[in-house]
Amino acid sequence: MAAEPQNRESSLPPTATALALWEIVSVATSCLIAEWVVLSFAGRSKLIIAIPILLAGGLMAFSHRERDETLHEIGFRADNFLASCRLLLLPTAAAVLVIIAIGWFMSHSIFAGHFRTRYFSLPVWALFQQYVLNGFINRRAQLALGKGPKSISLVAVVFALLHLPNPLLGVMTFIGGVIWAAVYQKQPNLFALALSHSVVSIALALTISPNLLDSLRVGFKYFG
Amino acid sequence: MKTPSTSLVHVLIGKSILETLLIGVLAVFTFISILPPYFHGWGEVTDTGISGWVVNNQAPWDRVEVQLFVDGIFMASRVANESRRDVLLAGWSKDEWHGYTFTVTSMSAGLHEARIYALHESGNGTRKTLQLVGDPIRFAVDASGKLSHLLGV
Repeated sequence: MAAEPQNRESSLPPTATALALWEIVSVATSCLIAEWVVLSFAGRSKLIIAIPILLAGGLMAFSHRERDETLHEIGFRADNFLASCRLLLLPTAAAVLVIIAIGWFMSHSIFAGHFRTRYFSLPVWALFQQYVLNGFINRRAQLALGKGPKSISLVAVVFALLHLPNPLLGVMTFIGGVIWAAVYQKQPNLFALALSHSVVSIALALTISPNLLDSLRVGFKYFG
Repeated sequence: MKTPSTSLVHVLIGKSILETLLIGVLAVFTFISILPPYFHGWGEVTDTGISGWVVNNQAPWDRVEVQLFVDGIFMASRVANESRRDVLLAGWSKDEWHGYTFTVTSMSAGLHEARIYALHESGNGTRKTLQLVGDPIRFAVDASGKLSHLLGV
């Protein structure tokens, strides 16, 4: 049985709710600093980009330890992988079909993009994003707002916010954020979410024109 | 799930402080690399134009490229590499080759303002910025085309 932070509306005292929300804001701020501030001030210096990412990683690790959360609870597990995949199958297939339809409408071709070797690392990147989004932010959102639409919306808004100012990606990540957050609340399995995330991302990259998606660029990088 | 201790609050505050410091350091570092406060110089009106000197104290042996703008309009660009022994003797530079002269011709009679900017390159040539050297120079041009400095205007 999946361990869940809260099964109903949050009944935590206001300070605990505020703390959980503060954790979300703090992690999102680190991501925004990496995307916007570091890239605009220091270019693509990997060393400086690593600072906010390490700070966020340190906070998340410390928070998990403070709250006695195990990797199994967070979603690094195999027991509910198939159950989670079953929940994700339909929305993922629908998303891929919509992407193919858009690609066909725009360029009359399917999977015409060049396959790049960096796509092999996409599952790892997707797992990392899903861990931050659901393994951390979703769990804290459930603590603050309880399980259900409120916390799911908060997760999706944060996910979309981190993909601005790319408008199309912002909309798509909001929809993806809603689906992935809802599935995670039912079956917390990060591997299944990363698989779904990777499939959709590769379909996007191979089908939709890079011009339309601005090569999936977000933050300050979006402008060039 | 266990209720966290106050240490989590301390970690959140500490993280916020570190991120604020990071942004502050990045802002200052970026400002200094794009608009370094190392340029010193002066400009004055002569009968036929604007002349002066400029030194980059961070690289005192380099010759600085300067640009002349009159009434906000770009007029000319050149490298400040003329002899200015007085600048060397006054201790402003390491050698005397930091002078520049712009000849100002075909200006309409009346009051004008000249500004001399030092050109600075950063980011391996991806950025170029201009910095005002000295004060804006206000001058008048008479009917014969002769320039004169306007004092205290």
